[in-house]
Amino acid sequence: MEIELLEKRINIWYLSSLIISIIVAIPVVVISSSFFENTSEYSIILRETFLLDYIFNSLILLIGVLSLTSVIGIGCAYLISFYDFTGANFFKWALILSFAIPAYIYSYSLSAFFENYGTAYSILRGIFGEGNHNLYIPKLDGMLGAIIAISFSIFGYVYVLTRVSFHYQSQNLIDLGKNLGFSKKKTFLKIILPAARPSIVAGLSLVAMETLSDFGSVSFFGVSTLTTGIYNAWIAFDDLTLANRLSFYLLIFIFGLLILENISRQKAQYHSPSKDSLKTKNKIKLYGYKSAFAFIFCFLVFFISFIFPVVQMGYWTYLFPKYLFELNLINLLSNTLILVFFSCSLLIAFGILSNYGNRITKSKFLQILTTFSISGYAMPGIILAVAYITFISYLDENLLQLKNYNIKSLFIGSIFGLILVYFIRFYSLANNGIKAGYLKINYSIDESAYLLGYSKIKTFNKIHLPYLKNSIFLVIILLSIEIVKELPITLIMRPFNFDTFATTAYAYASQDLLEAAAAPAIMLILISSAFILITSKLILKDQQ
Amino acid sequence: MKNYFEINNVTFAASKKNKVDNVSLKIENEGDTICLLGPSGIGKTTILRTIAGLEKIKSGSIILNGKTISSETIHVEPENRNISLSFQDNSLFPHYNVIDNIKFGVDRNKRKTKKIHLDDVIEFLHLENIKFKYPHQISSGEGQRASLARSLLSMPNLLLLDEPLSNIDQNFKEEIQVKLKQILREYKITTIIVTHDSYEAFYLGNKCGIILNSQLKQYDDPYNLHHFPNSIEVVNFLNKGTLIPATVIDEKSLENKDLGLIKGDFIKHYPKGSKVKLLLQPEDLEHDDKSNLKLDVVDRKFRGTNFIYTLKTQSDLLIQVFVHSHHIHQHDIDEKFGIKKPIHIDHIVCFD
Repeated sequence: MEIELLEKRINIWYLSSLIISIIVAIPVVVISSSFFENTSEYSIILRETFLLDYIFNSLILLIGVLSLTSVIGIGCAYLISFYDFTGANFFKWALILSFAIPAYIYSYSLSAFFENYGTAYSILRGIFGEGNHNLYIPKLDGMLGAIIAISFSIFGYVYVLTRVSFHYQSQNLIDLGKNLGFSKKKTFLKIILPAARPSIVAGLSLVAMETLSDFGSVSFFGVSTLTTGIYNAWIAFDDLTLANRLSFYLLIFIFGLLILENISRQKAQYHSPSKDSLKTKNKIKLYGYKSAFAFIFCFLVFFISFIFPVVQMGYWTYLFPKYLFELNLINLLSNTLILVFFSCSLLIAFGILSNYGNRITKSKFLQILTTFSISGYAMPGIILAVAYITFISYLDENLLQLKNYNIKSLFIGSIFGLILVYFIRFYSLANNGIKAGYLKINYSIDESAYLLGYSKIKTFNKIHLPYLKNSIFLVIILLSIEIVKELPITLIMRPFNFDTFATTAYAYASQDLLEAAAAPAIMLILISSAFILITSKLILKDQQ
Repeated sequence: MKNYFEINNVTFAASKKNKVDNVSLKIENEGDTICLLGPSGIGKTTILRTIAGLEKIKSGSIILNGKTISSETIHVEPENRNISLSFQDNSLFPHYNVIDNIKFGVDRNKRKTKKIHLDDVIEFLHLENIKFKYPHQISSGEGQRASLARSLLSMPNLLLLDEPLSNIDQNFKEEIQVKLKQILREYKITTIIVTHDSYEAFYLGNKCGIILNSQLKQYDDPYNLHHFPNSIEVVNFLNKGTLIPATVIDEKSLENKDLGLIKGDFIKHYPKGSKVKLLLQPEDLEHDDKSNLKLDVVDRKFRGTNFIYTLKTQSDLLIQVFVHSHHIHQHDIDEKFGIKKPIHIDHIVCFD
């Protein structure tokens, strides 16, 4: 009888994980099925003309961003983890602030500064008087602009993961290098870097996925990549099937990277934190020009990635205050907060349900379902949105119309639909964040609680929840940052006249009104920065 | 008479490799302690986990206080068994300090009339200095003591202890063993202890079980286990004697070609002329410098109260002998060591 009761309880977990997996599977199924459908003539034109360009440009962008993020991400992480120099403690968390600047807003700043008669011109004119200064100002636009904008807005992935890996590296390992007579350079190349390799690869994989998913920056600089191709196929040629087919090519790219990332994560197990690794590292104190070099390197990265776009956007907001006053701040803020609140609630609830279910049932099938359901993060927002619309349109036209249901208005162009696509996109973040918290609770802790007479629900309330609350809070903050910055999904899925800071900034920028885009952009940066500061404080507390 | 706890024909299996087949054992009286001994990885912990309800069984039954708690069709959830398991890795809740962790145990014993007092447990387990520390701030031995305190305070119907003192410093260990035994007896807490330390098992257990080769080989009181092991495997596992070849002479004696005549009472009848393996334990032989039976000393261990000499016979057999440490003649390695003749053993244990 009691076994039967247990089986009944299990069903909740299976059902919820199954629902999540089905929702997340929609885009993959839709994209794969596009191969069996007809496309417009545009596909032939595309194949003969731009397709190779799209692939080539995507590759160049990828290589450029990976190279630049490696240098600045690993460089900063190394200097801050192993050396003591002026400002090292400040840069440790300040460099994370770059996450507050989405690549598209960085692009607006870059363009605003370097364009003809832009901010750089004004500065030169202020110093040297009138003249043809435009000749001496480099034009950071097109592919170069996109590489710089994307790199400085997402190098944080490489920086954070590498720094964490360096943090957990055993001091003994480093001392061993010294005992073997290795120079600092040799210790770094032969010991530190290979041990951190899995984390670096994981960071670079995230950078690669974000780069291939980028829409705002490449569309602003007019760089034709697979992502803009998808958007054009859908918007300009009204060919959803072709958009999905292009998505398929892009997904193959991304899944390849995901597999690479997974392999490297498995290898990462060999330097998991141990008591020994948590010993304070003996940082090397730098003096003179060496200290100056380390400071300048980190300061430049911090300045270029955060101060520069903030000052540029702030300057323009100050210069054109009427755009700030024209903004319906309360409306934009409440729209953003509504999305954050409902999305976070849904994501956290299902994240907990799925993790808790996995934990108490220990079912392999459930684990497979969960693994499958977190694949949404690998898919660019634009693909998710287009595939989701295709699916709902198909349902509407072929199945539910028969019964006089009109589900289109419920699922497309509605807050509900928008939150559902956010759910697919960010479920991985919620699930993994909570899972990371759960992994720190040894399973025998649960068993101890049961053996002290605690029911499963009471164990969750008394043992799990107090322990997980920091992880859950952290996940809410991370999700909030992502949702506040999110552009393509919001742009495509939002209800009519429903704007966020991100869509408002994009709307102005796409009309070449960069000075107007500055006000919503600076608001977005302020909100994201506040969230990031809370996050970094939480992470530091967690590490202690 | 009804037994307090019974395991009837249960196969305990955590994996194909790690299982113990068809176990049956009984604890007759409430408040008794039994110990399970066996090599690492044999499945001792699996037995405790199954009794606690963390694993299910496919056949047989487990009965506690007259109620079936595990069988093919019944599985009482762990939280409803009132069985406490103290894990080897202590499993303290990481976000509560030591005292709060221990109090989880107190919550459970509210309905008991005779309770163990929190302060008493803190004192006997030497937890005073660490009670406000968090699990990550204490050593594994301290964690084990805190975990033991939590389990004791819950005053379960059955207490399961998995290597409870394995990480505890030697200077505390004996003191804790003594007090633990007192508490278990005073509060009538029925306990099953898993350990690999036979001295600990023999001291704490009313009965002990030896698990070898996926089987409960022998379940008996400690005296019988030591003196009357039922198989060569148990002898080898306990490692408290040597098996030497001998020939049965009559009903009261047998003979080994190096040691000569050995007299005593057989615990099992063997026909005259039988070739057997005789169990010779260190306490069976007596040192005698005047004896003409001299063996070579190959090793000598000083154990405080006594010496343990390892001697080699002419046939290269190694046998051990205890000599109290006040013995004035200390024999160095390669010296000769006299054994009193004829050898007389209280009870003769032989194997075919």
